[in-house]
Formats: sequence, C-alpha cells, structure tokens
Amino acid sequence: MQLALQLLLSGILLGGVYALAALGLNLIFGVAKIVNFAHGEFMMLGMYAGFWLMTLTGINPYWGSPLIAVAFFVVGAAFYWGVMRFTIYSTELTQVFATLGMSIALQNLALVMFSADYRTIQTMPDGRSSIDFGFVHLSSDRVIAFLFAIAIFVGVILFLRRTFTGRAIEAVSQDLMAARLMGINTQKIFLITFGLGIGITGVAGAVLVPSFYAFPSVGTFFVLIAFVVVVLGGLGSVTGTMIGGLSLGLIESYVGYFSPDLKEATHFILLILLLAVRPQGILGVKGAEKESLK
Amino acid sequence: MTRLTQYFDMRPRDALGALILVLLTMGLPLVIANDYHVNVLVLVFLYAGMASAWNILGGMAGQFSLGHTAFFGTGAYTSTLLYNFAGVSPWIGMVAGGLLSMVFAVIIAYPAFRMRGVFFAMATLAFGEAIRILLIYSRKHVDMPYGLSINWEPAFGNMIFEERSSYALLAGVFLLIVTLTAYGLSRSHAGIYLRAIRDSEEAAVAAGIPMRRYKMIALLISAFFTSAGGTLLAQYVLYIEPTTVFSMAYSVDLPLMALLGGIGTVAGPILGAFIALPLRDVLLDLFGSGAAGLHLVVYGVLLMVIVIVLPSGLIGGARSLLSWLTRRTAARKSEDT
Repeated sequence: MQLALQLLLSGILLGGVYALAALGLNLIFGVAKIVNFAHGEFMMLGMYAGFWLMTLTGINPYWGSPLIAVAFFVVGAAFYWGVMRFTIYSTELTQVFATLGMSIALQNLALVMFSADYRTIQTMPDGRSSIDFGFVHLSSDRVIAFLFAIAIFVGVILFLRRTFTGRAIEAVSQDLMAARLMGINTQKIFLITFGLGIGITGVAGAVLVPSFYAFPSVGTFFVLIAFVVVVLGGLGSVTGTMIGGLSLGLIESYVGYFSPDLKEATHFILLILLLAVRPQGILGVKGAEKESLK
Repeated sequence: MTRLTQYFDMRPRDALGALILVLLTMGLPLVIANDYHVNVLVLVFLYAGMASAWNILGGMAGQFSLGHTAFFGTGAYTSTLLYNFAGVSPWIGMVAGGLLSMVFAVIIAYPAFRMRGVFFAMATLAFGEAIRILLIYSRKHVDMPYGLSINWEPAFGNMIFEERSSYALLAGVFLLIVTLTAYGLSRSHAGIYLRAIRDSEEAAVAAGIPMRRYKMIALLISAFFTSAGGTLLAQYVLYIEPTTVFSMAYSVDLPLMALLGGIGTVAGPILGAFIALPLRDVLLDLFGSGAAGLHLVVYGVLLMVIVIVLPSGLIGGARSLLSWLTRRTAARKSEDT
C-alpha cells in the first residue's frame, strides 16, 4: 500500500516534469504546425543555462528562472526569425530538416563549448534533498520542478485565454487565413509563439538540471519523451499535454519499479500501440493540422 | 521479356547516368590507391546505396521514415550473430537479416501506415529507438557481450577481404543493385502508383490504386536493402554495438542525403551521398583542429541553409535553373524578332 502510494506520487511528480518538457513543443506545433525536432536541444541548452548560472554566480536555477525565460524567449524568437520564418509555408520535409539541422548544430555546439561531461548541480543543502511525509519520501527538486510545471501551465492557459495576444495566438492556431483576414499580424504571432515555446523549454531544462544529468545529447531523450507526451495527450492541446505527461509519468513509475530496464522501451511501445489502436482518436492524424489550442 | 525491355527502356540521359555510375563504382576502387580515400569510397557507396533504399520509401512513396536505423541495425546484428555464434556465412546472414527486417517492417507498417507526413516520421523514429532499447534489454538475459567483434579471417565466404579496394567493389555492386531496383521501380507501374500515393493519397485511392499494398512493397524493398547495407558495414568495420548500429544518426543521415541530392529521384540520393560524406570530411579537415564537434556545427548550419534555399535538392535546383535559362533565352529571342 505504502509502496503503491510512493509510486503514485513519484509518478505524478515525474509526469508533471514530462508535461513541462513537452509543453513548448506542443505550443509551437499547435500554432505554427511545425514539429520542432530541435526541441530537445533547446531543453539541453536550458539545462546548461541552469547549470552555469548556479556554478558561476551561485544563483540557483529556481530563482534564476525568470532570467532564463527571457533569454530563451529571445533565442526562440531569433530561431524563428533567422530560420523557421523561411520554412513556415514550405513542405513538412523542409521543416523537419531545418529543425534537424538546428538540432545537429546545437548538439555539437554544446559538445564544443561544454565537453561531453555529465553535469548536474546540487541546489539543496544535505539533509533537505528529500521531503519526508512520514509514509512517503519525495525528492525536493522534483517537487519544486512539479510546482514550476503547474505554475507555468496555469500561466500559459491564462495567457492564452485572457490576454489579447494570447487570443490572437489561439486564433492563428485555429485558422491561419481567418486570423489574417481579421488583421492579425501572423508573423508576429509566430515569432511570439516560438519565443514562448522555447522560453518555456529553457526554463523546463533549467529546473530539471538538479534532478537530471546535462550532457550534449540529452536532448534526444527529452525530444522523444515530448513526442510521446504530445501524442498521448493530443496535439496542440495545452491541458492534453498535462494529461499526457501525467499518464506517461505514472506508467513509467510503475513499469520502472517492476522492470527498470524496460522503462524506456515502454514509452515507444506505448506510442506505437496508441497509434495502432486509436490513430484518429487521440492523435487525430487527419485533422491534426486543424487541431487548435484548447 | 517484354516486361524487361519495358523496364530498361532507358532515355538517353538515363543511359548516360547509368554509364557514369558503373564507371564510378567499378572504376574508382581500381584507380584509387590511397587507403584513406578508398575508405571514404566504401562509405560513400554504402551510404549511397542505403540512401537510395530509403528514397524508395521516403522519396518515391512519400513515406518519410526516420526509423531506418532499425533495419540497418537488424542487418548488422543478424549476420554478425549468425556468423559469430553459428558460423553462418555473412552472405546468408545478409539475406536472413534482410528477411528479418522485412518482418519488422510489416509489424511497424500496421500502425505507421495509418499516419501521414510528420506523424509517420515520429512513429518510425519511436520504432527505431524501441528496437535498440529492447536489444540492450534482452542482451542481459542471454549473456551477449555489449559489443561484438568479428575475427579478421579474410575469405570470400566470410565476406572479409585483405584489400580495402575489394570492399569498395562490393559496396559498389551493392549500390548498383539498389540503383537498378530503384530505377526499374520508378519506370514501372508500381513507381507511377507510388508517386500518385505520394502526391495525393485520396486521389490515388479514388483512382483505384491499392494504396496499402504499394506502400508495403516500397517499405519491404527499402527495409531489405537498408538491412543489407547494415551487414556490409558490419563486415567492413568488424565491430558492432547497440548504440552505434542502432544510432539515430543513420535514420537522419539517409534521408538527409536523399534530400540534399533530390528527393524522389533515382540519382538524387547517390549525388547526395557523394557530396554529404566528403563534405563532412572536408569540414573535419577545416575545423577539426578546433574543438571536437565544431565541424558538425557547421554541417548542421549548412544543412539548414541548403534545405531552405534548395528544398528540392541539387537536382531540383539544377532543373529550375535550367528551365529559367530556357525561358530567358526564349524571351530574349521573342524580343529580338
């Protein structure tokens, strides 16, 4: 019983983290209809940003997250303006390879700048690294990352629903042409969406570096996780991302307990099975490009 | 017989291309003496062959797979395991690996062919990753070492050769066979059906094309040859391990070469491999003295630029340049008169 509860709570925490890792990908997909294969690399850069911030200045990534968010917003906007702007009306193939090119470049840039060493940081003093609730133990860093995930999800949903820009983003995601006819500057919306998506991804990386190792190719792991989460939860859906993340976290938590080696394979088998059983339901292949942010 | 002549009813430029290719694949291994250059040649031929194999599915049929590493690794592992533990010749192992890859292809086809475009890419990517993880997992239960080396015992039956140039010839023959298949396919009815499916699945089905069957044919051919490429590379390097032969790098490199040269064309992937691999070596020469990985940063940036500037590859770019020139000359002429 106690074990089941422990697995449940760890699964939920992990799920929140996975949802956060996938949100930026889904946001960009929902609005610009581009699957960003460099998503994992931006996450990796976020991890390094958190690592260096702590190592060089002593500011831990939690307090430094606003700074990282702003920096990565700029990075994301620059990525759109410098590269993706030219592919927005191109074929999927061009988009896939433009982002894959970015992924190769960033991964190796990290290798050049930071070497292949595995890096992590300790944010909590000894003895406070886990929170003891008497019957379950939870890692403090995971709890904080989970809280970040909740805060960011609520923030994004409020932003999309309540602000003018947010509603414009939603309009573009629903119908690009209609949004244009209504006088929305779609280039600006895409720019903001990329900034927002990559900004969130940067923060996700930074708050995860205390509990995951940062190394140049870590992005491959996270981008695949993000794919699974997004497909589980629904493409283009913000709340779906949270549901997808939590489901994956729980599954991984239980499978991981019984068979740690199969943990990773579960993700992909789950993804493939899901696509086999309900291709149109959860994924909505045919209408995927018409999927909107909910 | 009529079927055959129909297949090889070449246009003059195709015949010229075929002649060049035969000269390259059969001539270069004999001419080049430098060991390093022969090494590049072996890799270029193998990659060109596998990129062509990818292109049958990804380019001609428009099913954008990012999971071909699964077939590549299956080929490398099947032949190596059979050779090391059962003494089976890699020639037979290559066919066995190809058949096993086709079985895997059928398994992945069931869910993946329900998807299109980038979703198909994501599903195949997940498939490639899952195979690697399952292999690493099952390895522990059968006491298989992490890496497998093949003893260097040169013999034709062992598919191990004294001279590097023999490998180059073998890789050249592989490239020729794949190219011939791709060419035959592109000139046959099946090729027309595949292009129809690529351009519009709805229209293809409405026209009465059995879509799933033809997609499956493309996938099976593609899987078989990619797998054979895996065996050939394993026999050349004589060492395999899960993370290298099931690396996502193959899944990315093969479509990349096809895209660079001209996706969907027979010559495109070959051209792409002949440019991309040496390009990486040149970049390594130029930037390799700096930090490790710097040349790949440049490579990634170049890739982005090429994809944006020339989305239909070098062949597509050359074609539009040619048609622009003809139109301009025609316009000039009409102005003159």
